[in-house]
Amino acid sequence: MAEEIMDEMDELDVAANADDDAQKGKYMTFQIGDEYYGIAINYVNEIVNIQSITGVPEVEDYIKGLINIRGKIIPVIDVKVRFRQEPVQYTDRTCIILIDVNSTMVGLIVEKIADVITINEKDIIPPPSLNQSVIGKDKYVFGLVKVADEVKLLLDPEKLIRDEDPMSLE
Amino acid sequence: MGEDFNTESMLDIFLYESEQLLETLQNVVLEQKDEDCFDDASINEIFRAMHTIKGSSGIMMYDNITKVSHKLEDVFYYLRESHPDNVPHLELVDHVLDVADFITAELDKIKEGDTPDGDESQIITELDKFLNKIKTGITETGDDLPPENKHEEPKQFYIPPTENESSKYYKASIYYRSDTEMCNIRAYTAVYSLKEITEDMEYMPDDIITNEDSGAVILEDGFHMLIKCQCTKEEVLEAIGDTSGVDWVEVNECTAKEFEMGFHEQEPAPIVIELDDKDKGKGKEKAEEKKEEKKEPTPGDYVIKGKETGKGKKLAKNQPKNSPKQSYISVNVEKMDSLMDMIGELVISEAVVLQNPDLKVPGLDLSNFQKAASQLSKITTELQDVIMSMRMMPLTNTFQKMNRIVFDVSRKLGKDIELEVIGENTEVDKNIIEHISDPLMHLIRNSVDHGIEAKEDRIAAGKDPKGKITLEAKNEGGKVYVIVRDDGKGLNREVLYEKARKNGLIGNRPMSDFTDKEIYQFITYAGFSTKEQVTEYSGRGVGMDVVVKNIQTIGGKLEIDSVEGAGSEMTLKIPLTLAIINGIVMEVGSSTFVIETNAIKEFVRFGKDMLVKEPDGEEYVMLRGECYPFIRLNQRFHLEETDSSIDAEDGIVVVLEHENKYVCIFIDTLIGEQEIVVKPIPSYIKKVQGLSGCTQLGDGSIALILDIAGLITDQERR
Repeated sequence: MAEEIMDEMDELDVAANADDDAQKGKYMTFQIGDEYYGIAINYVNEIVNIQSITGVPEVEDYIKGLINIRGKIIPVIDVKVRFRQEPVQYTDRTCIILIDVNSTMVGLIVEKIADVITINEKDIIPPPSLNQSVIGKDKYVFGLVKVADEVKLLLDPEKLIRDEDPMSLE
Repeated sequence: MGEDFNTESMLDIFLYESEQLLETLQNVVLEQKDEDCFDDASINEIFRAMHTIKGSSGIMMYDNITKVSHKLEDVFYYLRESHPDNVPHLELVDHVLDVADFITAELDKIKEGDTPDGDESQIITELDKFLNKIKTGITETGDDLPPENKHEEPKQFYIPPTENESSKYYKASIYYRSDTEMCNIRAYTAVYSLKEITEDMEYMPDDIITNEDSGAVILEDGFHMLIKCQCTKEEVLEAIGDTSGVDWVEVNECTAKEFEMGFHEQEPAPIVIELDDKDKGKGKEKAEEKKEEKKEPTPGDYVIKGKETGKGKKLAKNQPKNSPKQSYISVNVEKMDSLMDMIGELVISEAVVLQNPDLKVPGLDLSNFQKAASQLSKITTELQDVIMSMRMMPLTNTFQKMNRIVFDVSRKLGKDIELEVIGENTEVDKNIIEHISDPLMHLIRNSVDHGIEAKEDRIAAGKDPKGKITLEAKNEGGKVYVIVRDDGKGLNREVLYEKARKNGLIGNRPMSDFTDKEIYQFITYAGFSTKEQVTEYSGRGVGMDVVVKNIQTIGGKLEIDSVEGAGSEMTLKIPLTLAIINGIVMEVGSSTFVIETNAIKEFVRFGKDMLVKEPDGEEYVMLRGECYPFIRLNQRFHLEETDSSIDAEDGIVVVLEHENKYVCIFIDTLIGEQEIVVKPIPSYIKKVQGLSGCTQLGDGSIALILDIAGLITDQERR
């Protein structure tokens, strides 16, 4: 599965070189629990299979540790734990999406990679205002979109990787 | 500027070049700040630096820099040409430093991507005043001189090419066609063409300008030259080839000896044109005047004139080529860093290959593989050494900056202080140099401000009224020591203790609790300052703690020693390099840790009777009658595995030492010693006390590097 997506990503990369706008409106979707989430593809660097993670002591529970990608040491976070959900056992479908947010490389552990979809900007509906005050997963969600009868939650990666304490990103 | 014009790289070069020039300029100035005047060489040096900056800033269109450097150039042009003897030297030094500061500030702005908008008019007015003053000998009151009385300097100056060792010598002869007229003028043209590329030359006959008959002689015997220059035969030929009417030219290499002998064996006596001659420009003009008197305007004349106008600039540009062939290239630090990273990767990959589990299949004959492998290891080790040495830089520049600080601060404080520099050639990793510059500056300032007493006090104490600060660097035991020593009043135990107590830094512990050195260390605590009055330079109590923090980030430490009344000594002990350390890899539970080999005192097999448990849960290890604090890493780092092996009696106790403090940790398995490429823990993860970084092991997995100092301070705090 991941390989297919990677191929697709490669194509996208080529397109991106030709025209930066090609990435616009493209979202990589993945599954966590029962929900599907999307992340703007221009943040995504690479997708790797789950690999051995070196734990780092005394950090937030959702920071799983460090992985080594061709000599680069990258912290990974478990998105499910980040969403305050019960962690699940990693399987061979578990993937790590490497995203680059303002030059900070972070790996996101997700249960399953789904697809790359194109979303028209005007189809994105902001999350219902009631939910905005809820401390929890919704603050990372900046929009909802309905694709083929499925609702996908679009994530803001900057908020996703940022700690509750805004100082710690510095 | 045109779009296809690569201003980026031009800007880089401009910034780099100008900074270098300013640095040399400051060094020259400070070297001679105590003399009565600059010597000729340094006047030339400053003049040349200003000229180059003027030229290049002009190209880059930074008007204010151009104007300021032009003005200072004027001043030094005057000094060079007229040798006035009434120059107030210190004032001149101040002016030069002001200009250097101004340009540095502008360059900083450019570097930040801002436009250099500093106002140059004040400096220019001051320089004008100064120039007028030394010209007319009028003192401060002499403002009645019209300020417009700016003397017009020729726009181009002649800058003599510098002489050096790698010069070559040639014998050149020009023979003219028999129908050529005015051979003397043509020969003169050739001489002028050549002057651009030569350092020194002689020619025969020597009176080609003054003696019209010399033309006939040249026609008859040819025109002979002895040339000393940097260029190849072809270049010499090319320069001569410009002139018309030449029948044939002969250029042969000769030795320095032959050159020195000149045309002595042949009459008439030769003339030596010293191109370093200061009056060159004038001489040239004179020569031209004479020619005009002869009313023989020939095409050759125009050639000379044409050359002349372009000369100043051309030579200035050519200057790097003429200066001693330095076997240095400047490389972008990023490239060096990435090379360093790559080599780090290589070392790791090497380990991956050499310790590959596939090799552990029993019954394999690996003797050839092992041979090749050891060769590979040898090469990678050498490669590491090379990249390390490439990153090593002498402390010279850093130390020279200190010179300026001592000069500035001591003058403002009215103290007379001499700075002695020892061992400035000691080499340190570039990263480290960047980190010690600021701390060193603080220490020097402190010494000037707090350490050295005022002149009267020194005399009263029977000391030399001139204070002395020694800045020393040396290599010792894999570390670099940078020592700042002054012969000032030293540190007072009682004062320091009282102050620390009053500021609540040490609680109420009695003075006898502390050793001298511990008391001296008080000054490095945040919020500590013994100086009652805050001066511009120090006394706010920030500083020393920042110094210590900066030094600690590069794994160094600060030691303070002092003898009251005789001075104090601050020693920075810093590691030679940061990036690769020798480490011991070990396992605790399922985690892998690395400890720097230097920090490990010993390994002891764990015995149950060694463990001493206090009722409050703290544990100690008794070893040969000594008691050491004991840390279980699993508990310390809240690792998930429960530490059961401690009772199984098959663990190992590692005794760690940092700054004479000891701590023991308990580990399960020793893996082995390895060269470790230290990588920072990504900044996304908050700093964890007790960890200093991470590294990649041979199998590609990541291990965390324990920070011994952090562990110990942590333990003490509990």
